[in-house]
Amino acid sequence: MRIVIAEDAVMLRDGLRMLLTARGRDVVAAVGDGEALRAAVAEHEPDVAVVDVRMPPTHTDEGLQAAIRIRRDHPNVGVLVFSQYIETRYAAQLLADGAHGVGYLLKERVADVSDFLSALDRIAGGETVLDPEVVTQIMGASRRAETLVTLTSRERDVLALMAEGRSNTAIAGALFLSYGSVEKHVSQIFAKLGLPPSDNDHRRVLAVLRHLQA
Amino acid sequence: MLVTTGRALAYTLLLPLTAGIGLVHLVVVLLSVLTTVNLVGVPMLALSLVAARGLGTVNRRLARALLGARVTDPAPFRPGKGLFRWMGAALVDATGWRAVGHALIRIPAAVLALAAAAGLWGGGLILLVSPVWRLVPDGWPSAALLAPAGLALLLLAPRGLRLALAPERLLAGTLLGMSASETRIRRLEQARAFAVDDAVARLRQVERDLHDGTSARLVTLAMSLGLAREELDLAHHPGHLERARELVGGAHRDAKETVAELRDLIRGILPPALDQGLETALATLAARTPIPVRLHTDLPERPDPSIEVVAYFCATELLANVVRHSGARHAAVDVRGRDGRLTLTVRDDGTGGAVAGAGSGLRGLAARVGAVDGAIDVRSPAGGPTVITVALPFRI
Repeated sequence: MRIVIAEDAVMLRDGLRMLLTARGRDVVAAVGDGEALRAAVAEHEPDVAVVDVRMPPTHTDEGLQAAIRIRRDHPNVGVLVFSQYIETRYAAQLLADGAHGVGYLLKERVADVSDFLSALDRIAGGETVLDPEVVTQIMGASRRAETLVTLTSRERDVLALMAEGRSNTAIAGALFLSYGSVEKHVSQIFAKLGLPPSDNDHRRVLAVLRHLQA
Repeated sequence: MLVTTGRALAYTLLLPLTAGIGLVHLVVVLLSVLTTVNLVGVPMLALSLVAARGLGTVNRRLARALLGARVTDPAPFRPGKGLFRWMGAALVDATGWRAVGHALIRIPAAVLALAAAAGLWGGGLILLVSPVWRLVPDGWPSAALLAPAGLALLLLAPRGLRLALAPERLLAGTLLGMSASETRIRRLEQARAFAVDDAVARLRQVERDLHDGTSARLVTLAMSLGLAREELDLAHHPGHLERARELVGGAHRDAKETVAELRDLIRGILPPALDQGLETALATLAARTPIPVRLHTDLPERPDPSIEVVAYFCATELLANVVRHSGARHAAVDVRGRDGRLTLTVRDDGTGGAVAGAGSGLRGLAARVGAVDGAIDVRSPAGGPTVITVALPFRI
């Protein structure tokens, strides 16, 4: 897998490169700001770009803006936005143009190396990966929002795992439920959120988005 | 010189007009005051006070442009909504009343300036040409004496006029500008704005230091440990144990560095040593400064904690400047408390030339000190030595 890293803290950038290389990934470029990131992505067309939200020169949301433009200009490049804090607003902006091959994770998730690598693999494969913290925040907000009060706590658990990009099988494993009852919960969630039936998995992401926009 | 003389002359020649309008206006004000008994005068007085403000502005600008008077603009007229509020505000408008006062008191000053101009230039010219035109009666001293006297008068005229205009300049400065209380309010407003901005800037700095420094380090540390754990899971395969040991070693080093960095960061936010007082904190600061610092403190009692913090950060900033810019080999810090004031003096034997200008850090310091009603004095001749004194109140 070919990866571009954009991270302004040199220590962390070198650490990431070291980790990814050690685990057999090909880090084709490692840069320190949004401008260089877009140039590197245009040049290398990597499978995934790992992007820090806050980079020079503004130190605000440079990385996020670059990530959004990359998703627009290079739809085949997966984007993992990698940040020290979670803003649901950021997640919503990132997912606004669709949820194909995109992720938003807290930086400390890198400490669980295998989980981090599998998240990268899933993003490269076109899936959506959201940090559990995003889900927690959405749930926190949704308790106040009227449409979402109707979800049972079990359904919220299922939705949280869906937001992390897990399949029904994985959700069943994580919550010690049968595959069938997960399916039932999922269709309940879709019904309660007013998502029409369709045969494509995109609905799962729409469910998450519905929460983000609430 | 020629330009300023021209301007002074122009100002003087305008005086009959400006002072004259002022006089007419004074009559209107007087009439309004006299007719307030039957209420007609009240709106008239309000109107004429607002007009006085306008005249004051004209006179202020003339004094500033032509006499070089230092006059700050007073606060603009901000009446409330509605006719009655507007009138009320106008009637108690100090700026308007002071402009009226100016129009009255300036009359002798204007007369003086006009008389001086007429006497000096007019008299000089007459004397100068008198031998030719035979203006003076026979029997007066000869032309040989008169003409040089006229010339001398003309040569003295610019200086004389400037002297005669001094009262005009003084009156414009005291009556047409900001009043003392307005100046004080303005200063307090600036100090407050600075204090708020400064607090936000400091918070942002702390946030950035934690985000870019400590947090990034801890993430890297967690990553190394995560990798090490995976290597340990494979420890029964050759090479993995060594790799794990290497990673743990690196993480151990990172952890120690992070702690040291965090300690510096904490000290930058607020040094724990300040809890024991300025003396202890300054002793630590002196010991940590790369050049020898002689510290002398003489505080009969402890100042307010916030004053201690300001004094401490002044010392930090000033010593940092000494190390960075002065090339000094020794520095001395002296803190004294007397008569409710705390004086902090930082001396060095460096090359001098410190200025409280933009970007020197001294300007920010001056603003910070000013925010607690303190003052800073910089003496730094080229070639040194530099002595900077910060005076602060004991109680805020």
